[in-house]
Amino acid sequence: MAAWVKGGATDADAAVDAAATLLAAARTPIVAGLCAELSAVRAAYHLADAIGASVDPVAGPNLYAELGVLSRTGAMLTTPAETTGRADAVLIVGNAPWERPIVQEIAESAPTRGRAAGAERTLLSLGGPRNGATRHVAYPAEAGGLAVSVAHLRAYLKGHLAGETAYGDLARRLAAAQYGVVLYDAAELGELGVEMLQGMVKDLNEVTRFFTLPVSDPYQGRALLQLAAWTTGQAPRVGFGRHVPEHDPWRFDSARQIAAGEADAVLWLASLPAPRPDWLGTLPSIAIVGEGSPEATGDAAEIVIAVGVPGESAGGSLWNDRRATITYAPPTGQPAELTAAGVLAAIQDRLVQKKAASC
Amino acid sequence: MSTLTLRQEPPERLDFLHVTPLSLSRLSEAEAARLPVGTSRRGLTLGDCFTIALDKSEDLVIEGGSSRLDRVGASLDGGSIRVVGDVGQRLGAGMKNGSVTVTGSAGPFAGSGATGGTITIAGDAGDHAGGAVYAAKAGLDGATLVIKGTAGDHLGDRMRRGLILVGTAGAHAGSRMIAGTIAAGSLGDHPGFGMRRGTILASATGALTPSFVETGTHDLVFLRLLARSLRPLSPAHADLAAGALTRYSGDLATLGKGELWVSAA
Repeated sequence: MAAWVKGGATDADAAVDAAATLLAAARTPIVAGLCAELSAVRAAYHLADAIGASVDPVAGPNLYAELGVLSRTGAMLTTPAETTGRADAVLIVGNAPWERPIVQEIAESAPTRGRAAGAERTLLSLGGPRNGATRHVAYPAEAGGLAVSVAHLRAYLKGHLAGETAYGDLARRLAAAQYGVVLYDAAELGELGVEMLQGMVKDLNEVTRFFTLPVSDPYQGRALLQLAAWTTGQAPRVGFGRHVPEHDPWRFDSARQIAAGEADAVLWLASLPAPRPDWLGTLPSIAIVGEGSPEATGDAAEIVIAVGVPGESAGGSLWNDRRATITYAPPTGQPAELTAAGVLAAIQDRLVQKKAASC
Repeated sequence: MSTLTLRQEPPERLDFLHVTPLSLSRLSEAEAARLPVGTSRRGLTLGDCFTIALDKSEDLVIEGGSSRLDRVGASLDGGSIRVVGDVGQRLGAGMKNGSVTVTGSAGPFAGSGATGGTITIAGDAGDHAGGAVYAAKAGLDGATLVIKGTAGDHLGDRMRRGLILVGTAGAHAGSRMIAGTIAAGSLGDHPGFGMRRGTILASATGALTPSFVETGTHDLVFLRLLARSLRPLSPAHADLAAGALTRYSGDLATLGKGELWVSAA
């Protein structure tokens, strides 16, 4: 079954019609989630523009922890390929990066090009899990958290603090690297921590070569960010209520809007797996979700439409973490009857028809 | 004195960027009623939400506030605005001159980028009061921000100039501060995180970042001058500045020219 309206199974056409009716009546609708292939995200932005909705991706916290810093102070960034090929010292900050395959890849390789070619690679950890599965030198985090730990470390690197301490030792190791990389997760580190870390890496570049490699969020945020930029000229959280894309990360935070009672309808787009928000179903809502996902049931929202999952039952352009770019993922199985982009375009077409009929 | 009286809670967030005493003084009541203030496709106007009485004066009173009134007094360049009730985000943002007074509470980013004038909030303020909005270079930038109640986290984040007086504030007050002065009854954890310069004065704080170091107690002329400048605004804060204080220097992770003064009592 591919579609449900108010819990009852129906065909896609009826669900699209019900979705258009729901959105047409809304004063301040929200398009949220946007964990999907690029064609669907593009269709979602176009639909939001047509209905005056605001847009908030599930990748928002991760993206904004990075973007605020990037826009104010800049960043020293590198790629996975440069890291595995050149780095003789890799510092992993926090727990989250350890869950990514890139850590194992870094641990099992050594620098083969550049000024550190032939050197041994040292893996360092600040506030990591200390599980011992991968050989590394571990330094515990401060009680105040990762951002405070990075600040403490940076004070040693700048020479403002000194002494035979763990952070003093870590600072010496970093400064001695020929080509260093810091691996971190922006959402885990937080905006203040990211800015402190980027500042620390800039300080290190006074004495050696050092870069950062933030791991990407798992919800297509990096791909969406590029689409948002070329579509609206803005970062992702925009509102179209006044006919132009207004960027305001606080005002268009969907969880805040719903908690404050400002939104009266929501469209949740997640053709790829994404955590289901608590508020889905608490207000008139449409869920466009991947077929076979836990949300592809009649009770997930007022209107539920199951669509092809990119890379499985549909083709789609997705963020490729290994190559750090957007690539096309063909379907690996039988293509689904519906695609997210097709459903969103159909809803928009139906809205246009309804508007024409009412004139 | 011109008066706008809110009829009922607005159905959507309203943007008051263009509703200032100066802009209203050039309009008739009928023209003012057509000012767009809505933020949805419904195109709400000032007259849809408020009863309007104008007398072309430099003083504007908004009777009946709401947490959905955004940018009240933003870019104000003279005159006064008094809100009887609450306001939303960016109160007095980018304001250059004049005064804005709120009898209730304010949302986030109050006084962000304000270069002059005085903003007074009788109740509480949200996060980032006197702090920088997304991608902005600076938070409070020369204005005076007085919060009589409690401010949220990140008070004065990336503040560049001016003065913030607050009863109590949450975590990370004065974070990434470039310069300026914050005086507070008490502050949460990690005040001054990443601050480059500037002065934070508090009777008590939460946990300090280890990149702040104590530099002892001092009897400085600067503190007496600070106390004198604070007294007209808040005798309690002036008394704090005049009392025994312990000085911490930081944030040593950055430039390290900031100072945190905490009551030694």
